[in-house]
Amino acid sequence: MSELDRRDFLKVVGLSAGAAATVACDPPDKLVPYVIQPEAITPGIAVDYASTCQECPVGCGLHVKTREGRPIKVEGNPDHPINRGALCARGQSGFSRAYHPDRIEGPAMRGSDGSTQPISWEDATAKVAAKLGSSASKTWILGGPVGPTLTGLINQFTAAAGLAGHLTYENFGTQAVVEASEQVFGASAAPIFDLSEADLVVDFGADFLDNSVELGAQFTKARDINTHADGGARLIAISPRQNLTASNADHWVAAAPGSEGVLALALAKAVAQKKGVSVAAVRGADISGAVSAAGISRGVFDEMVEKLANANHAVALPPGMAASTSSGAGNAAAVLLLNVVLGSVGSQLTYPAEDAPMRASLADVIGLVEQMNKGNVECLLIHDLNPVFSLPSSIGFAEALAKVDLVVSFAQLTDETTEVSGLLMPDNAAVESWGDANPRPGVRSIVQPTLRPLHDTRQLGDSILAIGRAMGGAVASQLPEGSFKSVLEANWSGSSWRQALALGGEFGATPTRTVSVAGSAGNVRPAAPKLAGSGSMTLVPFAHSYFGDGAGASLPWMQEIPDPVTKISWNSWAEISQNKAEELGLEFGDVISVETPSGSVELSVYPRGGIRDDVIAIPIGQGHTVGHYASHAGDASHQGATAKDAMQRGVNVADLLPAATDEAGGQAYLSTTADVAKTGRFRRLALSQWTDNQRQRGLAPEVSLYELAKGGGMAHFAAAANAAEEAHGDGGDHGDGGGHHFEGPPFEFDAAYDAKPDQPYRWGMTIDNDKCTGCGACIAACYIENNVSIVGEEMAIKHREMTWLRIERYVGDGEVDFNDGAERRPWPDGEKLGENDVRHLPMLCQHCGAAPCEAVCPVIATYHNDEGLNGMVYNRCVGTRYCGNNCTYKVRRFNYFDYGNKNWPGLLGLMLNPDVTVRGQGVMEKCSFCVQRIETARQPAKDEGRVIGDGEVLTACQQTCASQAITFGNVRDDQSAAVQLAKQSEDRAYHSLQILNTRSAVTYLAQVRRDENGGH
Amino acid sequence: MPDTHSSNEQTGEARRRSLLIGAISALAAAVFVFWSGWPTPTDGAANAAGGGDVLVATSVCEAHELRAKKEDDPSLEIEIPAEYDKQWPSASACQSAIDAWDPTAEGPLQPIPFSHKHHAGEFQIECLYCHAGTDKSQAAGVPSVELCMGCHSQFPAEYDQIEGIRILKEHWEQKKPVEWVQIHRLPEHVQFRHNRHIQAGVDCQNCHGDVASYDKLPLVEDSHIGYLVPVAKLEMGWCINCHRQNNQQASQDCLKCHY
Repeated sequence: MSELDRRDFLKVVGLSAGAAATVACDPPDKLVPYVIQPEAITPGIAVDYASTCQECPVGCGLHVKTREGRPIKVEGNPDHPINRGALCARGQSGFSRAYHPDRIEGPAMRGSDGSTQPISWEDATAKVAAKLGSSASKTWILGGPVGPTLTGLINQFTAAAGLAGHLTYENFGTQAVVEASEQVFGASAAPIFDLSEADLVVDFGADFLDNSVELGAQFTKARDINTHADGGARLIAISPRQNLTASNADHWVAAAPGSEGVLALALAKAVAQKKGVSVAAVRGADISGAVSAAGISRGVFDEMVEKLANANHAVALPPGMAASTSSGAGNAAAVLLLNVVLGSVGSQLTYPAEDAPMRASLADVIGLVEQMNKGNVECLLIHDLNPVFSLPSSIGFAEALAKVDLVVSFAQLTDETTEVSGLLMPDNAAVESWGDANPRPGVRSIVQPTLRPLHDTRQLGDSILAIGRAMGGAVASQLPEGSFKSVLEANWSGSSWRQALALGGEFGATPTRTVSVAGSAGNVRPAAPKLAGSGSMTLVPFAHSYFGDGAGASLPWMQEIPDPVTKISWNSWAEISQNKAEELGLEFGDVISVETPSGSVELSVYPRGGIRDDVIAIPIGQGHTVGHYASHAGDASHQGATAKDAMQRGVNVADLLPAATDEAGGQAYLSTTADVAKTGRFRRLALSQWTDNQRQRGLAPEVSLYELAKGGGMAHFAAAANAAEEAHGDGGDHGDGGGHHFEGPPFEFDAAYDAKPDQPYRWGMTIDNDKCTGCGACIAACYIENNVSIVGEEMAIKHREMTWLRIERYVGDGEVDFNDGAERRPWPDGEKLGENDVRHLPMLCQHCGAAPCEAVCPVIATYHNDEGLNGMVYNRCVGTRYCGNNCTYKVRRFNYFDYGNKNWPGLLGLMLNPDVTVRGQGVMEKCSFCVQRIETARQPAKDEGRVIGDGEVLTACQQTCASQAITFGNVRDDQSAAVQLAKQSEDRAYHSLQILNTRSAVTYLAQVRRDENGGH
Repeated sequence: MPDTHSSNEQTGEARRRSLLIGAISALAAAVFVFWSGWPTPTDGAANAAGGGDVLVATSVCEAHELRAKKEDDPSLEIEIPAEYDKQWPSASACQSAIDAWDPTAEGPLQPIPFSHKHHAGEFQIECLYCHAGTDKSQAAGVPSVELCMGCHSQFPAEYDQIEGIRILKEHWEQKKPVEWVQIHRLPEHVQFRHNRHIQAGVDCQNCHGDVASYDKLPLVEDSHIGYLVPVAKLEMGWCINCHRQNNQQASQDCLKCHY
């Protein structure tokens, strides 16, 4: 760069600007109107179609927003009984699979040299039909869970063709709790929980705030401080590591992994005694044994008993995969028995009248692997599952697959399994497919296509029908006529097909059954987990918030958005306790080797306070060797690399797991010990938040119920904070701006003064921190709505992420003093085992009335508009970055390397929102309060000569939030929900860094501490 | 003589180049015409005139042309077979089709010799009839082939003698969309809303120029910035000027158009 002096630089810039202008205004752009314009489509106006999310088996309803016939965003369907308009981060991202660079673009055959050659659908179909014709009895179908109509069709096909079998396997399935329900209640179904009336929830590791939009919404509503003066529902979270639910809990009990069952049974016994309830099945529990197995103090146990016994509507959530040990079903059964004692069965916990659908267990899959190894499987059809990646490596699935003559994959995206499949018959993406879902009995949800297939793909149902017809004879005659769509339509008899398409399905009440404790409940004896090996630590594999069983790792946003608890993105990490890290001489980013009897991996370590000393926790889902985003294949630094190992992003936990099962044959994730050793190497992780210490600045304060009841709320907080600061002896002026005193204007809800007086609008937002769970769905919504670029791991490490909205996570009020001499950051966190004082603070542009950024922009690219918005004019920005430097809240992002163009390869550009400019290199950007949505809402208002009404503009973040923590509106309108909420909660209202008098348009409502002794 | 436009497979890039190097393109044009072999309305007339004998019309359009010539020069001997002795397509329609593909006129060649002058000028079809939805949506409606055929399918067969209509029907039969060359185009960092302007009573001509007087929409070279622009320059100074003059209704807020 040194040779290039300023004059030359200007010349180059001038030239390239000219070149860019010529390109931009050249006329070769084509206007290509429709041949026949569909009636529903007016170019420029979005059309929504109802559909169902296909990312996981929950079955949330969707509204797919399309522009000119292509999906650009998905939102929750407000009428859908499961998600009621909300949608998780991954659900929102799923539609990008249609445009994904990993798409398999047509049927292909793998040659002997390993490369694939395209073939026609007819040839592919004929090939499978011929194979099945000769060896149907040696053919299996292995797939993930799909909709009822498709499952029915596959089963019909399996029977008609005389195949050996069809296994539907689900990672993180519900088999253990179904088995437990059978044992406790004689009901072969998964219980349905309803937390809306609960007053105490005990989470045994289900981490429901992380993985259930439905339960999260019910729970936050049940503890809405505005409707429950007593604070509403309390939450006790039991987990060896502070997961997202534990972060939000009133009490976190860091019980030893795998002790959930014995602990639940002991709690059941103690609570039964206290309440005077008689449940025979829990009498045999050993309380002191359980307390010592869980590694908690008797005091903590007694406190839980006290709370459970005093609650009127307590409910306990079974652990799911978190306690999937050799005794996984026993653990779930113990929790169900606790519910019996708590009296929640029939109210907070019900059973549907229908039995749960059949699922294959891991034992069944191991059986299939044995058959494959014996040479008894000639042909294997795999759909909606990536077994080579997700099954424990020690099962040897990949090796056994090599012995199968013909492996047919129906996957949409290239993955580890398609790489070793002989024939690829790619499925349509979910937004190109017909289908249905049955989230629970009584609720039927429809999947309808909103995009014509972009590639030469065929949806699975049609592929199956085609294969069956090609087999001819008896097989063909037993299969239904027509396409899969007609099969689906025929299956929809009884209710109007058109109405179902419009509404998204048929949403009836779930017929339930009455259950009572069965005799077999007396045999519930959760056992200590059988752990392989004799390592010093217990390996706790946990479900990553966004990856599910690993399929979510292909989605760019899921990689980019940091994990809600650790704030790490784009890679795997190992959580160990700070004590353990000190013992081993490890700091953040140091690479450790983790060895179990089944294998070993190396990865960077994340020491934290919020995890037990005897535990090492690694998230599941990372570790792909294939995929543009899932592996390193799309990274600039890995271009040209070919070795699979070099391509692997993070580590695959499946490489560490033994082929362990629970009593019912389900996978036991918590099944091994591990040895941890320092390697001496260091690999930096992309960490978006470097400290959870808010240094007493009151960024995310907390008020107690007591303070609220006394009146004054935040005033008490400020007084207490100042007192604490003085006690620190740090109250003086350091010459750096005057310490950290909470002076400045007191909070007054008067953001309306910052717009032009004659304007009817001043846009503002009220965010209730008490409702925010930190799940990150709003971040995904923001990325997708506003065409925010991802940046990739290397750039994220340099803190160049482009996110417009982040969720800051703090622990406690923090310490004013901190050790900033630490060489390797981040600073040790403030988490403490079994204590919980986590604050979540959604941070976005505050649209300040007195914005520090506006004053310093030399070209007035950022300015204040008449409606109080802090405008950012991209085409005016020259990239001085002064605004970013001067921003109080660090919410401005600078596009260093044209991320938008670089990181959306291929067709991914088609998913961008045409209403929002795609920002280029060298331009600042930040939250716009979804100004495009304001402008869209303004159109009908102007047409009708009225002002925009309250609730007509929902920002993307607000729309998707399950707990409704965000309320956007016109704060000049006293009746708007945003104003009403802030006024109603004036005791909790504050502006972030109010002391600086930025006159923020975002009013935060402080988190509420519900139990004085919780966490302290 | 017709020019290179007889090959509508050419890219816009190639078209522009041909405009810049006129002489070469004229040569190339002859080759193209020969190669593509597309008949055009003037071919027959030109040949006939070259003969020096009785001029025989070979299409309705040519009949119009010969009659006009005869008026200028009554000594001419012309013959118009009965099948071509029709009122429709009108002389102006024939002329517009020719002018819409006039290579000497400014502007890019469109895949169809469509004339705004003929439709919006002579027949005074409302802009919004074809550009439907423009009053409702931010985006301007561009007529579908189906919409064109709504009228054109009802016209007598003689109209097929006009090249543009023949091509239109080809698109319709093959269900192939027309790839128009865009004339009026805003940069992507501008969020323009057509509906607001129409509802405020702004005439289309204010921004798009008097398209009703053009057979071929012009795109002229701007000597100041060195690239092609429509007659009405869609630059911000020009937008804001109008917004200033109408400051009671029109906003001057940056965020109205830039987000």
